[in-house]
Amino acid sequence: MGVVHGQEMVLNIGPQHPATHGVLRLQVKTDGEVISEITPYLGYLHRCFEKHCENVSYEQVIPFTDRCDYLASMTMNFGYVVAMEQLMDIKVNDRVEYIRVIMAELQRIASHLLAIGVFGLDLGAFTPFLHMLRDRERIIDLFEMTCGARLLYNYMWVGGLSHDLPKGFVEATLNFLDYFEPKVDEFENLLGHNKIFVERTADIGIMPAEVAINYGVTGPNLRASGVNWDLRKDNPYSVYSKLDFNVPVGKGIKGTVGDSWDRFYVRLQEIRESVKIVRQAIDQLPKDGDVHQSMPKKIRPPKGSIYSRTESPRGDLGYYIESDGSDTPYRLKMRSPAFTALGVLNEIAGGWLMSDVLAILGSLDIVLGEIDR
Amino acid sequence: MSEDLQKLIDEAVKKALAGDDEAINGIEDRVTRAKAKAALVKAKREQPNASEKSSTSESNEEQPAVENSENVTSKITKMLDYKFSDCLDGELHSDFIQLKPEYWFEIAKFLKEDPDAYFDSLQCNTGFDLGDGMLESRYNLHSMKHLHSIEIRIKVNIDNPDIPSVESIWRVADWFERETYDMFGINFTGHRDLRRILLPEDWDGWPLRKDYEEQETYHGIVVPKVKEGWE
Repeated sequence: MGVVHGQEMVLNIGPQHPATHGVLRLQVKTDGEVISEITPYLGYLHRCFEKHCENVSYEQVIPFTDRCDYLASMTMNFGYVVAMEQLMDIKVNDRVEYIRVIMAELQRIASHLLAIGVFGLDLGAFTPFLHMLRDRERIIDLFEMTCGARLLYNYMWVGGLSHDLPKGFVEATLNFLDYFEPKVDEFENLLGHNKIFVERTADIGIMPAEVAINYGVTGPNLRASGVNWDLRKDNPYSVYSKLDFNVPVGKGIKGTVGDSWDRFYVRLQEIRESVKIVRQAIDQLPKDGDVHQSMPKKIRPPKGSIYSRTESPRGDLGYYIESDGSDTPYRLKMRSPAFTALGVLNEIAGGWLMSDVLAILGSLDIVLGEIDR
Repeated sequence: MSEDLQKLIDEAVKKALAGDDEAINGIEDRVTRAKAKAALVKAKREQPNASEKSSTSESNEEQPAVENSENVTSKITKMLDYKFSDCLDGELHSDFIQLKPEYWFEIAKFLKEDPDAYFDSLQCNTGFDLGDGMLESRYNLHSMKHLHSIEIRIKVNIDNPDIPSVESIWRVADWFERETYDMFGINFTGHRDLRRILLPEDWDGWPLRKDYEEQETYHGIVVPKVKEGWE
């Protein structure tokens, strides 16, 4: 007798992300409770980012990059200005570089806090989410103090910054870090070692390193699979080479290397590393230096193209910029890290149960604004 | 920094290294405390075996120096020219390799599997409208083992935009190629699931081509075409 197959059923999840990271529809083929295939349908948030960029000047692209990944706008700005400065061969002064690093790392903390919090929320843990949102709020207050905006900053400009640090920023940041550091341990106990959370994430959705590399998965998701790859270390840009930090990798403490729990834990450890980086950057921050010093009067890069990568909270953020020597980009492509992270979903979620899909999806930390662009 | 402060920091760091964290947290002045913490980080780094880097994958055990991308490009160009005669398109370039579409699948397989090239990671695929009725697909490849990267460009005619798909070699190309197809209408032959990805399936035209005209209506809704606001 052959194997008995139940009737295959097609279910739709969405079009809505369970924790509203954006809008996404997953078409899931199930055999009873077991997933046989997942087909994601994207594009609900497509805003023609690349087409718009061809019609605006280079500095007008920066606000668009904010809106791609609205949970990590600072690092989106950062990636773009790094690419533009390479293309135009601009060197900015150290004060600008250190301020950028401080902002990028604070943003990484904020983004990871939300990622972890929402991951817990996806699995029904409501309390940690509120704690993390409370602390993320304090980072956003710091950003508001710096540039007036709370979500979409437009703070880093080609060759400089929109504003210098305001009075009292350094003290406020140190104050926050002193308050925040013990809280990270609290988060770890609250969520990471929670029996229910461990049961639902450990050994679930295992992503082997080869699969991750082949599918172009980057960032914390790749590191959780045990690959030590971080552009801040391996291809340092800005002043990251002068700062000391570790690259946390997944070790399979609760289960197997590359499972959903590892992806959570790598993010938690990265928060600790980012705190360390911010402290060092504040310590080394030069007292003087004009943040508008290297800003070109007219942004008109020479003919040519550049592909530049930076480490956003979600992974390798690449910008491919082609200039034809005019004021507007001839072609601008953003290589989105969340786009490739979602691409692997079908591969790693197949064979798991319906309830695990949300755990795996939550652990990948996708932002649909960046996927759809 | 005064000498007293430096002394205070040094002592606190010493105590912290011995396991007494309170020594640093007890410093009252915030800036001094931050400096002490930074000094502690530095001291820990200098200690042997303090770094966590040792427990990582094999790719980082022997870190080769990041090779100059132009050298890599010329090296790979020579390898390809030797292995696949008549695969190069036009003159040689120093920062990218221009290939003819015919052998792209075999070349991609070679680039991924050859131990000297070993481009195991496809970073980015960019569609491109060159004007003059030509489209281009650009691939940024990277090797996680050798830490080198190259750019491949393949030009096709707009009337017959066929490029072999490399989706079965690098799985990430699956969605990259779908996006390039969606935006430029480049037909990746051999792709197992070539559908639009960001736009609705019944959308007309290829939006990122330079001669793109929006359709008049979509399901009875008028497509707005006001462009004055941008200029």
